[in-house]
Formats: sequence, structure tokens, C-alpha cells
Amino acid sequence: MNKHIIKSLSAVALGLSLNLVSVPAFAENFLLGEHTPLSGKLARVGTGSHRGILSAVKVLNEKYNGQHSFEVKTIDDESSPAKAVSAVEKLVSQGVIAFTGGYSSGIIGPASEAAHKANRVYITFGGVAGPLSKRGHEGFFRINNTAGYGKAIIGLISDMGLKKVSILYSNKEATVKTAEFVEKGLTEGGVTIIKHEFDGHTKDFKSIINKVKLQDKSEAILMVGYETDYIGILRAAKLLKPKVKAMIGIWSLATGKMATEFPTLMENVYGTSMLPFPVAFTTSEQKVFHTAYTAEFDNEPSYLEQFGYVQTLLLGEAIIAAHSKGEVNLKTISEELRKTDQMTLAGRVRFDENGDNPEFVQRVGQHRTGKIEIVWPLSAKTSDKAFPGTPWN
Amino acid sequence: MLELTLQAIYTGLLSGGFYALVAVGLALIFGTMKVINLAHGELVLLAAYVAYATESKLGLNPLLALPIAMAVVVSAALLTYFLTNHIKKDRELNSLILTFGLGIILTNSLLMVFSANIYSTSTEWFFEGVVIGDTLFSMRSELLAFVVGVLSLGGLYWWLNHTWHGRAIRAVSSNLDAAKLMGMNPKQAEMWSWGVAGILATLAGCMLYTTSVIHPPIGHGLTIKAFIITVLAGMGSIPGVLVGAFLIAIIESLTATFFQSSLSELASMGIFLVVLIVLPSGLFGNKRIH
Repeated sequence: MNKHIIKSLSAVALGLSLNLVSVPAFAENFLLGEHTPLSGKLARVGTGSHRGILSAVKVLNEKYNGQHSFEVKTIDDESSPAKAVSAVEKLVSQGVIAFTGGYSSGIIGPASEAAHKANRVYITFGGVAGPLSKRGHEGFFRINNTAGYGKAIIGLISDMGLKKVSILYSNKEATVKTAEFVEKGLTEGGVTIIKHEFDGHTKDFKSIINKVKLQDKSEAILMVGYETDYIGILRAAKLLKPKVKAMIGIWSLATGKMATEFPTLMENVYGTSMLPFPVAFTTSEQKVFHTAYTAEFDNEPSYLEQFGYVQTLLLGEAIIAAHSKGEVNLKTISEELRKTDQMTLAGRVRFDENGDNPEFVQRVGQHRTGKIEIVWPLSAKTSDKAFPGTPWN
Repeated sequence: MLELTLQAIYTGLLSGGFYALVAVGLALIFGTMKVINLAHGELVLLAAYVAYATESKLGLNPLLALPIAMAVVVSAALLTYFLTNHIKKDRELNSLILTFGLGIILTNSLLMVFSANIYSTSTEWFFEGVVIGDTLFSMRSELLAFVVGVLSLGGLYWWLNHTWHGRAIRAVSSNLDAAKLMGMNPKQAEMWSWGVAGILATLAGCMLYTTSVIHPPIGHGLTIKAFIITVLAGMGSIPGVLVGAFLIAIIESLTATFFQSSLSELASMGIFLVVLIVLPSGLFGNKRIH
């Protein structure tokens, strides 16, 4: 008897020392890991994503109350790739079974590599660069990608019938790839593209806008950057008034925050958004999310919170499914995630063999007097486009 | 082409005025104490956040925040001075570590209090256009920042040359022992220079808030810009700060116009290196707080 116990304990100890992360079927508390930028230059987006993740954990705990529970351990990666890798390693040592979170392709790349080496699933919405899902990582999943944003913008510009577009893009990996994707798609459709690159330090965009006005003479300006870039570009454009028919942005633009904080600057500007603002939460899933979110936080959620919520919910459900079949590890969670095919707050989610979501296509919203109306695609629109239309015209 | 060039130079000039305003506080402290305040950008940012709080919570014009911001930032600057003054050994070197740490504390304090959101003034007046000859465009806030920058530097130059306290700072900066023998209190002169640097940082912060967007991480970038201009100017030279700031800003603007905006910083760094190779002491290196 004693020998049998000793042998069993030895086997468990050996398994733990070899870092074989198999959680036995009777385990009820699932520990998730999150590294996210809560400080540094990406703190705002990281905070949004983090809140969505916490909302998902709350919903999961309410759903499986009494059966299972979820907990998330979070480490601030300070917008630094090196610190994100350290965070992943530390969280692994603390026993997390999978990762949710991360923001920026440049940070998610090395962090998910560390998770891969530790045999942990890593799910995110924060890194859209193409190469991330081409590394052959069994446990890497993301609910969105460059293509989904690009398709929406190409669709919108094609619908507008524009023939010449200037693309102003930040020189970060994700924005460069997105600008290239849109350029390729539009060029194939016969649209002339003129690109202008800028970096994160650029605060004054008058020089670029003046070139668009005097040299490019484009019909629209597409901005592929981040919030501070958009504000600089739009202020410069409002000042110099180039004769364009539309100002279009990719992400972080058609958000409630932008609509409320910069109403006159945003008027008629387009940006991707899954839902209008003020958000009309109509489906049961949307209502569950909204209730969980507003119970914890005193603001209206944007797409950052929604996407963080969706990825964590999908991960949680996959863990539960894997657990019900006996084992929770990289292989079983990945298998369950690959079975996903459902409508979510982020649209339809289905994962291909690379962990990418081929169904992801963003929608496009337009700022209108403090609100955001969905204007593309036709199937989801809440209003017609105000076109031509710019903040100054 | 001419229109583009003129606008680029005009934009550079306006930015240069603001850069000079940010940099001059750092230059003043360095000139007096040989201390590089690596928290200077964060002090500028602190003033910008006070302006934001005044506008958003009290509904006042952000320029009316100046007295409150000045009280807060000058207090923070003096606190930094007192901490720096407690360094007993290798003050020049150890103050770098101390002020760098203070900068991080300030950044994270701002993050905790104001969150990571981006803010900018909602007063439309600042963003109205000023058009000169249908060719040169700027926002009112940019023009205001330029004027405030140039006037502040002029005022500081006058103060250093025509007031007792200003002269005391110059004397301490020039020869500490001689100044002591002449009956001056170096601690008092140093304190004055930190206080004035705090006032200048306040002005820069309020201008920053009205011309651009603010969020916690940008303080470090402001410090770096100020440091480069201070070194380029020749450590401690006030006219050098103005010339250096214009030079950096105009090169950035021309690069953005005729090459790529993403090469702007590289171009200004290139010029910075060239100037330092040709003039190792900077543009006005042999002069100190003149």
C-alpha cells in the first residue's frame, strides 16, 4: 500500500518537474495568464483589453458557478517585448494553463513564442501582423487579423468609387502590413495609391497633409496609425483643408471615446467598428457582456473591451470542453478551440490550421454628431454614408 | 514647391519656439548646477495635466490653469532640487539616476491618477487657423506657443543679465568659489534656478496641452528632445537653446516635407552629430548663461 502511494506520488512529482501541464479532470479552478501593457505607450489599449478579459472571467464564473472557476493573473508588460517575455515565463512558473491578452504584434511575437516553448495556448486580438500565425505554433490563436481590417477598408473605398487615395501610415509592423494589404487590394481595383510613412514621434502632420493637398491631390486620405496620430492628422487636415471627399482610419478611431472627446474633429470621419455608438446591445450575448462590463467599470465599452472579452470567453469555453473530456493541456485546448465556429461580439469566429480567423471582417463606422453609425457593409449598416464629407466640409 | 518649402520652414520655426521653451529649463539647471534633470519632461507633462484637470473639472480655459500649474510644478521642481541636493558624492552622475527615477515615478503617478487615456484641449479657439498670405498655415495654439517660447527665453535672458538673482546664478555657474567669496549663497542661486525652470516647464506644459495631445509616456520624449537641444546649444547657453531648437525643428520639418516624416528624427540626430563633431562644445559652447 505504502509502496503504491510512494510510486504514485513519485509519478506526480516527476510529471510536475517535467512541466507536463496536464490538469486532471477533477480540477475546478482554471488559472489564466495575461500580460498586457497597463503602462507605457500602449497603456490605453492594454487597459481596454484587460477590462474585457476581466468581464469574460466574471461571465465564465457566473456561468459555471459551483462547478468550475476561472482566475486571471495579470502582469503589466509596460509595452515592452522583453518584459512581456519575462511576464509569460513568470506566469508559467505560477501555474497558468493558457494565455489571453497582449497588444502590438512586436510584443505578441516574442511573448507567444515564450508561451509556445512552455506548451501553453496563447489567444489574442492585439497582434494582426501576418507572420504571427505562420510560425507553426499549435497553440497560437487570434480572433482578428490584418486581412479583416483591410477587407473592410477596401470594401468601403470601392463602394465610394474613389480613384486616388493617399495612405498615411505609421512605420510599425502591423500598420505597415495593413497599409500594404490595402494598397494591393485597391491597386488591383484600379485605384491609384500614394503612400506617406511616418513614425511614432511625428506630432506635426502639416508637412504630409500639405503634400497631399498640393502634390497628391487625392480624393481621400486613409490613416493607418493610432489615436494620437489620428488627432494630429485630422487637426492638420482641418487646418489645411485638402480637397478630399473622405477621411478614413483603420482602428482606434470609430470609438465612443473619440466621439465624445473630439466631436468636431471626428465629424464624418470613418473608422472600423463592430458596433455603433452609443452601443445598442441587442442580442443576449451582447447584453450579458454589457451587464458584466458595466457592473465593474463606469464607462461604455469599446471594441478593445469587446475583443478582449470574446477571446477570453472562447478560451474559457475551450478549457471547459477540454476538461470535460479528461485533460486540460496545450493539445486538448487547441483542439477545442479549432472546433469553434460561432457568432460573437467580434463577428463570426472560426480558427484555421494556423489559428487565424478567416471569417474576420471588420465593419466601418462613421462619426456623426457625437454618434457612430455603421455604414459598411450593407448587411450591418445603421445609416447611409454622409459622402462626400470631412470634418471641415 | 515654393509653397511646400515656405510652409515647412514656417512649421519648423513654430515648433522650434516650443522646443526652446521645453529645453530652456533643463539648460538653466545644467548651467547652474551641472545637473541634468531627466525628470524635466515629466514636469512639463505634469503642468499639461494640471491644465487638463482645470479645463475638464472646472470648465476653465486651460491658460487659466497657469497659476495652479505653476504652484504644483515649481513645488515638484523644488522637491527634486532638495533631493538632488542631498546627494553627497558625484552629484553630476548620481543626479542622473535620481532624476530618471523621479521621472518614472511621476509618469506612473500620472497614469494612476489620469489613466492612460489621451487628452487634448476641447477649447476650439486654439485650433482655429491662422493663415498668412494664403500660403502659411498654423493653428492659433502653435503661434501662441511660439510667441510664449521666444518671449520666455528673452525674459530669461534679460533676468539673468539685469537682476541680482539672475547675476547670482551666472556667478555661481561661472565660478562657484569666487561667488562664495563675494558673499553669494550658492544654494539660494541653485534654488532660484530650479524655481525658474519650474515656471518655464509650466509654460511649456500648458502650451503642450493646447497644441497637441498628452498621455503619460510622452514626458520621456520631451526630456530627450530638451537634452539634445541643450547639448547642441552648448551647455547652459540661452541664445544657443533658441538657435538649436530652431535648427532641429526646421530640419525635422524639411525632412518630413521632402523625404519622409519617419526620417525626421534621424535627420535631426544627423545634424546634431555633425555639429558636435565640428563644434564639440556645441553652437555656443564657450559661453555660459549669457
